[in-house]
Amino acid sequence: MIFSYNLLQSFFKKKLPKPDKLAELLIAHSFEVEKIAKTDNDWMMDIDVLSNRAADCFSHLGMARECAAITGLKLIIKKYDLIEDKKMKINDLLSLEVKDKEACPRYTAQIINKIKVGSSPKWLQQILETCGLKPINNIVDAANYVMLETGQPLHAFDFDKIQSIVVRRAAKGEKIVSLDNEKYDLNENILIIADGKYPLAIAGIKGGKRAEISETTRNIILEAANFDYQAIRTASRRLKLKTDASLRFEHGLDPNLAGFALQRLAGLIQETAKGKAVKNTADIYPQKILPKKIKLDLNYVQKLLGIDITVKEIIAILKSLEFKIITQNQNKELMVEIPTFRLDINIAEDLIEEVGRLYGYENIKAVFPTTALIPPHRNEELFWENNIKDILKGIGFCESYNYSFISAEQVKAFSFEQARLPEIKNPASVEQKYLRPGLIPNLLKNVEKNLDYFDEIKIFELGKIFSRTAGSVREKKMLTTVIAQKRSKTEQFHQLKGIADLLLNRLGIADVWYNEYQPSSKDIWHSKKCAEIKIGDKKIGFLGEISPQFLSVLKIKAKAAVVNFDFHLLKEIALEECDYRPISRFPATIRDIAVLVPKTIKIIDVLNKINIGGGKLVRDVDVFDIYEGISETKKNLAFHIIYQADDRTLTAKEVDKIQNNIITTLEKTPEWEVRK
Amino acid sequence: MLKDLKELKNKAQEEVKQANTLRELERISKEYLGKKGELTQILHSLKDLPKTSRAEVGKETNEIREFLKAEIDKKVSGLEETDKKEEEKKEWIDISTPAPKPNLGHLHPLTILKRKIEEIFNNMGFATIEGPEVENEWYNFDALNIPKNHPARDAWDTLWLKDDDLLLRTHTSPVQIRYMEKHQPPLRIIVPGKTFRRDATDASHDVQFFQIEGLMIDKEVSAANFKAVIQEFFRQFFAKPIKVRLRPGFFPFVEPGFEIDMSCLVCGGKGCSTCQKTGWIEMMGAGMVHPNVLKAAGLNPKHWQGFAFGMGMDRLVMMKYKINDIRLFNSGDLRFLKQF
Repeated sequence: MIFSYNLLQSFFKKKLPKPDKLAELLIAHSFEVEKIAKTDNDWMMDIDVLSNRAADCFSHLGMARECAAITGLKLIIKKYDLIEDKKMKINDLLSLEVKDKEACPRYTAQIINKIKVGSSPKWLQQILETCGLKPINNIVDAANYVMLETGQPLHAFDFDKIQSIVVRRAAKGEKIVSLDNEKYDLNENILIIADGKYPLAIAGIKGGKRAEISETTRNIILEAANFDYQAIRTASRRLKLKTDASLRFEHGLDPNLAGFALQRLAGLIQETAKGKAVKNTADIYPQKILPKKIKLDLNYVQKLLGIDITVKEIIAILKSLEFKIITQNQNKELMVEIPTFRLDINIAEDLIEEVGRLYGYENIKAVFPTTALIPPHRNEELFWENNIKDILKGIGFCESYNYSFISAEQVKAFSFEQARLPEIKNPASVEQKYLRPGLIPNLLKNVEKNLDYFDEIKIFELGKIFSRTAGSVREKKMLTTVIAQKRSKTEQFHQLKGIADLLLNRLGIADVWYNEYQPSSKDIWHSKKCAEIKIGDKKIGFLGEISPQFLSVLKIKAKAAVVNFDFHLLKEIALEECDYRPISRFPATIRDIAVLVPKTIKIIDVLNKINIGGGKLVRDVDVFDIYEGISETKKNLAFHIIYQADDRTLTAKEVDKIQNNIITTLEKTPEWEVRK
Repeated sequence: MLKDLKELKNKAQEEVKQANTLRELERISKEYLGKKGELTQILHSLKDLPKTSRAEVGKETNEIREFLKAEIDKKVSGLEETDKKEEEKKEWIDISTPAPKPNLGHLHPLTILKRKIEEIFNNMGFATIEGPEVENEWYNFDALNIPKNHPARDAWDTLWLKDDDLLLRTHTSPVQIRYMEKHQPPLRIIVPGKTFRRDATDASHDVQFFQIEGLMIDKEVSAANFKAVIQEFFRQFFAKPIKVRLRPGFFPFVEPGFEIDMSCLVCGGKGCSTCQKTGWIEMMGAGMVHPNVLKAAGLNPKHWQGFAFGMGMDRLVMMKYKINDIRLFNSGDLRFLKQF
């Protein structure tokens, strides 16, 4: 909010600190000052008033109170002597009715007769201009000026153009033309000021054309009312109309301010436009707001702020803010009365904030907490997350973070079941309509974009996915790893299988097997190159190449494969322990074996046969060659077989015997032929 | 005979001295020490000598043999050394040739610095906790003392789910409540996580961003304690002395509330374009936990008090690595990710 340095100064006899110095003080104790700029003969200060302080500090008076409390200068409020026409009484002249007392807790009005409309004095115009308001005439300007001073929005009507004042909800179909000639359609959500028939103003927001002050206006009625913040907020939103008045009402205002502001306005108008005030003011204020009282425990002040502050200092600070100390109980407890303009002060902690900020947060000395030395528990989930990320990083994968959303287009492409997707009611963009049910869609999007710059892409993401269940949304963490290559020597399925095996091995997960999977025709998977990853009967993940047809849908000009794990399942079975098997003191013997088998035979079957034939002295079997170019129907598989015992060196004779046993076992199968 | 031996020794010594190549030395070695070498032959003919001189000649011959062998070895290793040096001199590589890089992966910058933040706070006794990203109004607003229809609620532009009155959490603060409900103080936690706001996106705003929340509750935790903890965090995170400034701030879930500024990293507080000439950079919101929040979580504010803070992790990471656009974090762009 914009403030005029001169208007702030008007509340003090002594000089305020210079604007930049004052700004520094305000930043430290009250509010951020965004900007200071010189105007003709004033300074404008853009001060970021905290939203809970709008009630008192969207005004120069409020800001001057802050200045007084910070600097110790004495605040002086100039008084006006009102010239009254004692013969006339307002109740005889005006019928006033408030129909919705909840939306309008107070309505005060004053009539001034025989004024002379003209332009405002120069000093007043300058202050309005510093604050970004356009001078209009001495009546409107005075209302704006007193609003700047006090924070109370005010309005002046041409009294000769109205018969009565009714504060009520608008009826559907009613219309109003505002002072700036805009037409607004009204309805029951909007509170208005009306006379017997027509709307005169949108309450707390904007005045209407009907009773506008003109050059010929002689008699005026001044309004200072209090409107409920919610009523004004609703109306302002419905009408899409924000004004200086609505801004102030929306944050809530002290109803007691209305009377004070009305008097000032009448006084100022008499100074600048002459006229005589009718005796008394109209004032409908059924429930007068009284000051709150709050108990303040002095120990608590010290304990919460962590400072050694004396009672005397605390009392001085509270008094500087116009709080009253009602009772003081043996230096232990204060009873504090809060002025009604401080809507933000409701509990002892609010008072402690006042003490703290005026004492100066810079004066609070940093002290480390003295607490028991209990080390924090390790977060198991994060531990495994970090572990997995480090493994994948170690083997060349880049971690990606994606938005937690997917678009309707992606939903369609991936054939996700819409009923199970959590949908955003007010998405920020069409790209972000649903919460993601998997990490694959956005990772494949990453692939598509990155292929412009890279021939090979290896990425992963570990993050939450979402699904709808009755009445709630289920979140779970997934780990998805993707490779995409414009050219590759090894089947991508096998590349990722190696990575999955390594990852699971490093997580201490054993006994993993790959179960052949037949995807449906709608699936994104290559029908022949995908598998479920299982431990026993439990599926922990999925591995597969993306079908060429789906890659073209996604405009990915490379082959891509994905391995997907349920992170929670991985975490559950992962083990940190590592069992060491002593290195055998006895040398190993390696023999090779080559088998010619039909092309459709799985290597795992051959390996099983070798292990059955070999028994426990076969320590390891490595496939070192797969050659399919031999014939249409057969392939050649070559293995290293590693023989080793823990307790002796195996003799050539022993090894020969086992090797022969393996060969016999293999050749028992029809069409399998061991090449010799 | 002994005289002949002496001459033989001198002659051989001279030959070794003159030799310049390994081949020559090999020849010398063969000529004197080889199977048919002169010294070997003398040793073979010892049996023909009279018994009296046999021992003396034998001893002398062996001594010369050892001597000569040592001389030759010395010369050989000298020559070999020279040869290797010559050879090395001929070799040359261009050290400016770009080298093949081993294929190492990369962690996301947010992961890297999240770990660093966690480490600093973990060392100060704060446990790392996570919470749900889809929340309800109670945890995201009501329990945090942000009542319905209150203007303060506008500050959190919320993304709502279509059904079930659920929303995407607008801050990590709901986890404060969830944690306090289940754990009795004293407690110290930090909560890193994704948060969402329906914000117009630009280089410094995104719909999805990262926050880190902190909470410490005990019998006597004060603003002075908060100041010490947070100052230590910044000092360790940026690895240089950092000044921290507390200003009055307003967040419904704390009272008193603070805005936390940090002395500008670029100019050290003198004022520059980064800090808009103020010398300070706004880093986080914080304050002493509001009694209504403690109550909402089932704690008695008469017995417990503490501080809470929340900061944008993206901002911290952007400052640390001088990243100029927040949207890069969720771009999946490898040209960006591969730099960390």
